Amino acid sequence: MVDQIADQLGKTRLKQEARQLHGQLAGVMRTFGRTCRGRQKVFVSLVRQTEKQLLTVGEWVGPLALKALLDLYEDTTLAEPQKNRLHRHLQQAANHYESIERQSRRLTQGKKLAHAKIVNAYDPTIAPILKGKSNCPAQFGKKPGLLAEMATGFILGLHLPQGNPDDAGYMMPLIDQVQQAIDQMDTPAKPRIHSVAGDLAFRETGLRNQLHGRGLLTVGIPQTLEPIPTTPTLQMITAARRTLPWPKSISDTQIKIAYACGYSRPFVESLIEGLSIRNGTHLKYKGHRGAFIQTMTAVLAHNAATLDRIEQNRLTPRAQRFRRFFRLKPPNSLQDNDGKN
Amino acid sequence: MGIVRQLQHWLGGPGPQLTVADFVPEDHPLRRWADTFPWDPMVAAIDQHMATHFSTQPQRGRPGVSTRVLLALELLKAELACSDEQICSRLRTDFAVLYACGVEQVQAHREQAHFVLPEVLAQFRGRLDEQVMAHLLQIQATDAMEKGLVSPAHLVADTFVSEQGSQRVTDATTLYKAKKKS
Repeated sequence: MVDQIADQLGKTRLKQEARQLHGQLAGVMRTFGRTCRGRQKVFVSLVRQTEKQLLTVGEWVGPLALKALLDLYEDTTLAEPQKNRLHRHLQQAANHYESIERQSRRLTQGKKLAHAKIVNAYDPTIAPILKGKSNCPAQFGKKPGLLAEMATGFILGLHLPQGNPDDAGYMMPLIDQVQQAIDQMDTPAKPRIHSVAGDLAFRETGLRNQLHGRGLLTVGIPQTLEPIPTTPTLQMITAARRTLPWPKSISDTQIKIAYACGYSRPFVESLIEGLSIRNGTHLKYKGHRGAFIQTMTAVLAHNAATLDRIEQNRLTPRAQRFRRFFRLKPPNSLQDNDGKN
Repeated sequence: MGIVRQLQHWLGGPGPQLTVADFVPEDHPLRRWADTFPWDPMVAAIDQHMATHFSTQPQRGRPGVSTRVLLALELLKAELACSDEQICSRLRTDFAVLYACGVEQVQAHREQAHFVLPEVLAQFRGRLDEQVMAHLLQIQATDAMEKGLVSPAHLVADTFVSEQGSQRVTDATTLYKAKKKS
């Protein structure tokens, strides 16, 4: 851009400097490309080594842009609209440089990446995923959250925030989505949410209190690494009941079912696998909107496949058992449910 | 305007008139998959979104492709893991895809290469946003709960990772891929 402005203004010296700097930067990137060619992997150490060289060589980009801006102001030969256009383009290019430079400095070894850091100059909404390890290339992309039914894995809510907030921040928007879907039902007796399960990332006290305030059990969210008991004792049922604002609003059976519906990683993995085969975990559309559309399309297709399996009764024994718990299916008369026969 | 009238340019060919449902068995996976969707409220939601966010279509010229077809193509694209080109190509030849798109009868011309161009699908996608997509999920969830197929009583929440899939095309990557394929 500086080169273009210098060309328009007839500033030979500025043009030479811009071209020289551009050549040097291209040289650094060429070295980086040669080292990476054919390896299929880009090592973080190599990225950081190149990043330092780029920052050293590129420190003159800022002053050069400023010089071009001053020359543009002082010039009297160009028409006003043309000057405005060049000024706008230069400012845009300088902003890009600033965001790249800022992000590049944040990728320095040993410094923790905070939330929602811009890492890609071409798509500012793509953020680093905090699950990335320090000894391997940083993972980039999105971190959607889902809320699914425990029996068959029908996804009732999808939340895709900007940046990477904590997992606990996903819960309430997801619950709101399900509640909205329930409110839209035409039936007189509307179902209600009894419990929510999640992994250790959802164990925050503040979130638990919020869920308890809405009358939701959180016995399916573990507080320690110990597994959640599938059959609760009488004391556990009483303790769970005390957490709710209206203790009598839920039956003992529902509390037992809530314990049985504790968080299960294999179950969640099966949902993610279902989305993965529908291109829900490999983003190709651009930006945050594109990511949301792609993930949501995969979710809708996954849900349709789940409904088809339900209608065909092609469900796992686990799913069938849970559907009996939820009273979506009549009890199995051939099975000794109560231990009485 | 009905779906047939909207798709008139490829449903009015000189070939024999074929009923799509006759060619797709009732237990065909795509037929069963498509029958689970509450199409009418979903299409109405998109049409309402288009009407409020974009200017009205001109009265002159050929009518646009039906929203029902475009929405179904977008969903089929995910279900069958196809690209825009692949799914639009399958719409021309695959009766199950035609059924899923809600087309009841077809009278195609042999020389017609495409029923829906991939560019039209991309333009349709470009007009969708987060609100309308979230509304579609809400419609699907409400319909499933009303039918008594799912229950919101006990839920599980979790996050997962969607990696960035776009790859910058350079001479080096193209050459590398060509070498790898050969």
